[in-house]
Amino acid sequence: MRNIIEIQNLNKIYDTGAVQVHALKEVNLTIQEGEYVAIMGKSGSGKSTLMNILGCLDRPTSGSYVLDGIDVAKENPKQISYIRNQKIGFVFQSFNLIPRTSALKNVELPMIYGRVPAKERLARAKELLEKVGLGDRLDHMPNEISGGQKQRIAVARALANHPAILLADEPTGNLDTPSSVEVMNLFTQLNREGVTVIVVTHEDDIAAFTNRIIRFQDGQLIEDKRRGEHADF
Amino acid sequence: MLIFENIKLALSSIRVNKMRSFLTMLGMIIGISSVIAIVSLGDTMRSAIAKEYENVGSTLGYLYINSPDGYYTDDYLFTAEDKDMVKEAFGDRLTYLGFNSSSKATMKNGRVTKEGNLIGLAENPAEYKKLNILKGKLFSNLDVENARPFVILEEKDAMELFGSIDVVGRTIRTVIGTETKELTVTGVYRNQDSALMKLLSGSNNTRFTAYVPETLIFPKGSTAWSLYFCVKSSYNVEEVGNQVARYVAKIKNKEESQVMFYSAQKEMGTIDSMMGGLSAVVGAIAAISLVVGGIGIMNIMLVSVTERTREIGIRKALGARTQDILSQFLIESAIISAAGGAVGTALGIGVVAIGGMFVNMAVVVKPQVVIIAVVFSAVVGIFFGLYPAAKAAKADPIEALRYE
Repeated sequence: MRNIIEIQNLNKIYDTGAVQVHALKEVNLTIQEGEYVAIMGKSGSGKSTLMNILGCLDRPTSGSYVLDGIDVAKENPKQISYIRNQKIGFVFQSFNLIPRTSALKNVELPMIYGRVPAKERLARAKELLEKVGLGDRLDHMPNEISGGQKQRIAVARALANHPAILLADEPTGNLDTPSSVEVMNLFTQLNREGVTVIVVTHEDDIAAFTNRIIRFQDGQLIEDKRRGEHADF
Repeated sequence: MLIFENIKLALSSIRVNKMRSFLTMLGMIIGISSVIAIVSLGDTMRSAIAKEYENVGSTLGYLYINSPDGYYTDDYLFTAEDKDMVKEAFGDRLTYLGFNSSSKATMKNGRVTKEGNLIGLAENPAEYKKLNILKGKLFSNLDVENARPFVILEEKDAMELFGSIDVVGRTIRTVIGTETKELTVTGVYRNQDSALMKLLSGSNNTRFTAYVPETLIFPKGSTAWSLYFCVKSSYNVEEVGNQVARYVAKIKNKEESQVMFYSAQKEMGTIDSMMGGLSAVVGAIAAISLVVGGIGIMNIMLVSVTERTREIGIRKALGARTQDILSQFLIESAIISAAGGAVGTALGIGVVAIGGMFVNMAVVVKPQVVIIAVVFSAVVGIFFGLYPAAKAAKADPIEALRYE
């Protein structure tokens, strides 16, 4: 299995003028293709900062981040947009669907920016929505459906361009327990089909769905446990 | 393809906020409609005036003597002797020479009394005034020479005074100034005034206009301000006119620069360029409202961008490039202002068309004006939408996603 993510000596320092915040300190991390990873930590632990860097929404202050063989630090803004579009599927805590736009159109969006022709786009969007169990809600607007359904649309959207990694930032944070379980089961299913899934969470129950838990504290990676064949975490 | 998607996106965004979009367009609508209405009004007037001068004939000219200090004495005026002298010197080059004299008069037949003007026609009246004669005929040169008491009445005036237009040979008592004369009707004409003339002279004119031999109202010793003449078509109007002007200066013992000669052609040219200039100035003022409209668009686009900060963050996280966001908002503002321009154009043309119906004039709307108007409004939209769109495109996705 090749490495899909390689992080070496990663540092992120926020300079807010008066105070410098060292959010990530000398982080070294490797994730292989097909893994099912949870990144855990309290607020301020650096997990959200790492998530933003993994998702190419933010740049490290120093160190290297290689995603699917691409050294992200060397990329210009246009290339970064390309990476966001093609390599990363983002799922947010607050869903972040485009309002007043149908489920179908929402799932099509990454493909629109990926310049995929209309017919192909439409077919794939339908296929993905069916895959997440929302084949009967293609034309519904975000305000007409439940949180759990919204998150499933977001997952379908994240898969639109066959990304290298699926990045989920507290995906169950705004969901009730049954919907949370639904979404995590969906991730598990996708992972079995070969999708690399990375979930950032502070809840142990959610992390328990995954196969590897990486813990952060005060900007440092303090623990990296894999689920053994017999043992639980 | 993305442009097509952005167009669909812009249209749906406009549709969602119909009232707001309409109010934004309003500045554009008012600006464009007023520019088109004013420019078309000018074009309509100019075309009507040009047609008017066509009727009059391009061989007509007149001259008068100007006093530099504004004080006029008798020697600035023309007499019958002056006219005779000019006739002798230039008779071969002119087809008409007269004073365009007119006199107030009152006509009475039985119980019907009518007030109006008598206009004098000199020899060869057909050259000077193209009257549509229904009954009888124009004056002969002998009629003019002998100052015969003849009159040519307008159709409607004849009906009012006599109850019929078959009145050639009848007489009518006319009071001219202090004199009372019995004039014989030798002809009846129909007024061919264009809509423009009717507009300028006032359509409620109840005064009559009748034609008499000039010599009848221009007795010996009379004076006139101007000398009117028509130049033979084989000669150049400007050339002959200037020659006559120089001659007049000599015989009246005045400076050549004091004798002002105007040809109908030149006059029309002057009026036309004046109107053109006026239209342009007023049009420019109306164009200022276009700038105001553009500012309104910039304002609303800024609001729209701020409102959709989070959405912009989502799009960027999904892989939208800076130029994708830029074009999304630029297209939206271009569509709003182009739509405003189109509506404004329709409104402007509508106003001109309705106005044209009232004054019964042929309305002129040049297609170039329409095209320029719509293109200009799209440009204004893009120009004023640039700053908000750039602001949107530069947004940092993390910050934008945090925005409530």
